[in-house]
Amino acid sequence: MLDLIHDIETRLEGGDGAELSPDRQEAKETRRSVARMSRALSLTVALFIVFSSARLVTWVNGFEVGPVQNAIVALSATWNEQMERNGLSAPEALLREGMSELRRTTWEEVRERVESERAKTEDATRLLRGMISDRKG
Amino acid sequence: MLFPTIEFGIFFLVVFAASWAVRGWPEIRKLVLLAASYFFYGWWDWRFLGLLFLSTLINYAAGLALARTSNVFLRKAVVGVAVTCGLAILGFFKYYGFFLTSLAGILDAAGLERDLPFMAVILPVGISFFTFQGISYVVDVYRGHVTAERVLINVMLYISFFPQLVAGPIVRAADFLPQLHRPVSLTRAHVGVGTVLILSGLAKKMVIANYLATELVDPVFFDPSAVGALDLLLGIYGYAVQIYCDFSGYSDIAIGVAALLGYRFLENFDQPYRASSLRDFWRRWHISLSTWLRDYLYLPLGGNRLGEAKTYRNLFLTMFLGGIWHGAAWTFIFWGVFHGTMLGVERYVRGKLDEFAPAQSDPGGPLAFLGNAAQHVVGVVWTFHLVCFAWIFFRADSFATAGSYLAGFARWSQASQYATPFLAGLILLAMIFQFTPRRLGRWLARGVQWLPAPLLGLLLGGGIWLIWALAPEGVAPFIYFQF
Repeated sequence: MLDLIHDIETRLEGGDGAELSPDRQEAKETRRSVARMSRALSLTVALFIVFSSARLVTWVNGFEVGPVQNAIVALSATWNEQMERNGLSAPEALLREGMSELRRTTWEEVRERVESERAKTEDATRLLRGMISDRKG
Repeated sequence: MLFPTIEFGIFFLVVFAASWAVRGWPEIRKLVLLAASYFFYGWWDWRFLGLLFLSTLINYAAGLALARTSNVFLRKAVVGVAVTCGLAILGFFKYYGFFLTSLAGILDAAGLERDLPFMAVILPVGISFFTFQGISYVVDVYRGHVTAERVLINVMLYISFFPQLVAGPIVRAADFLPQLHRPVSLTRAHVGVGTVLILSGLAKKMVIANYLATELVDPVFFDPSAVGALDLLLGIYGYAVQIYCDFSGYSDIAIGVAALLGYRFLENFDQPYRASSLRDFWRRWHISLSTWLRDYLYLPLGGNRLGEAKTYRNLFLTMFLGGIWHGAAWTFIFWGVFHGTMLGVERYVRGKLDEFAPAQSDPGGPLAFLGNAAQHVVGVVWTFHLVCFAWIFFRADSFATAGSYLAGFARWSQASQYATPFLAGLILLAMIFQFTPRRLGRWLARGVQWLPAPLLGLLLGGGIWLIWALAPEGVAPFIYFQF
């Protein structure tokens, strides 16, 4: 995968047939990539603050006691309450519940699930065959 | 500061912003990255910053001395002194306690009990990695692969650059130092590769390695005598997957973070469990260490140029020292010795088979193709199980535990406690990724590199959020931190 970086670097050093000199082209590409990555990282932070507010509370609770720290703890707790009230922490809870269910699954349940899927497929096939033979008839 | 934590996230955001803000002033940029790297290292224990600096200073001075003399004897002496100093520091911090404990055991057994100068020596994190990088610098200067650095900051940054500082990959001076001398750039390929590697590394470590560690490997290895053969088998398969996902996950994140800062490291893993021989395995597993051992130990010992007997000796010694490098315990030494011995056996058997039935240049018909495919499959399965056998000693805290683990394979009638669909599925999923096309990562990175910023942010943010939501609570340290 890392040869991809090498390919692009080599192409930039070679000028890639563009009007700008290789140095200026590389500087332009870097400016663009840094700006793009900065925007992407900002969005990442925003997503984290909105959808993982409970984790934020856990993290700030590890701070030492002090006036600034206490204010941050209070702020993050309020923020988390708001997110919970608006249902924005629900997706994470849902995923965690799904994962817990997956971890608890037994081989018996897997077998039952496979059997039930097979039965559904057989029913559907029978239905389809019936329709075809009806049409033939 | 562990990679998958909020602390590291904030640290990286600051370093990313600061380092690209000063892109136009390369020397200041290096200072920013150096300060960040020392801060990153000091986060564990600031007292070892002096040791990191001392190790760097020795190698820097050796490089300068090599640049000033062309006398062969003096040059060899400089390399010898620098390598000895590096290994002495490593030896003291890593092996002092092990050496004295072993010595006390031998003296006790011989009825010669003595009071030995035991000390509680704390192992500085990443010491094995930065020592090897220092040696790489001095030897590369000696061999003329890289010119000696006159600016101390360059050597300091090479040895302490934070993505690879505590658990590799072991970066070569000849690969990294030239990157410090040209204008740094961030292309869309850096962004694509960095994003894909960070996400895949986090998924491997946080989800697969952490679940396997807490729900299967740790309990099975805690008391192997309490579980049956099926659990022991699943436990060792689980550990093979765990250590791969843990270490290659760390390497992926390190390489990805370096890419987002504009630097290129070499790959450290290449689907190792699809190897069809041990030799092939060592070309795919911890590539930066195996190539380091090859170039700085195996080849200087003579490699395979001094006849068959010395080739076997060199293979054995290289793997023996590779085992010691991993940790100060007899189980690690056994692990290295086992790999060294089996590499020798493999070489001998391959030689005999080639004599008996020389390789044909003509691939032959369908029957020959089927024969080669079957031979390859048998090779993959055999190699994987040899590696798994050695992992038992690597993971066990003592020979007694490893012995108990092996003895447990006789208990096939005991009911399984850990063979759940979830754990079996995790192992299977990780193993499937060993056999996907090699260029899968490149294809993904090619797709990601063209994404507009909002979609890239959604992918990165959504991916990290998803991994965090699926992963077990808490952050377990990476296995290779102890080395």
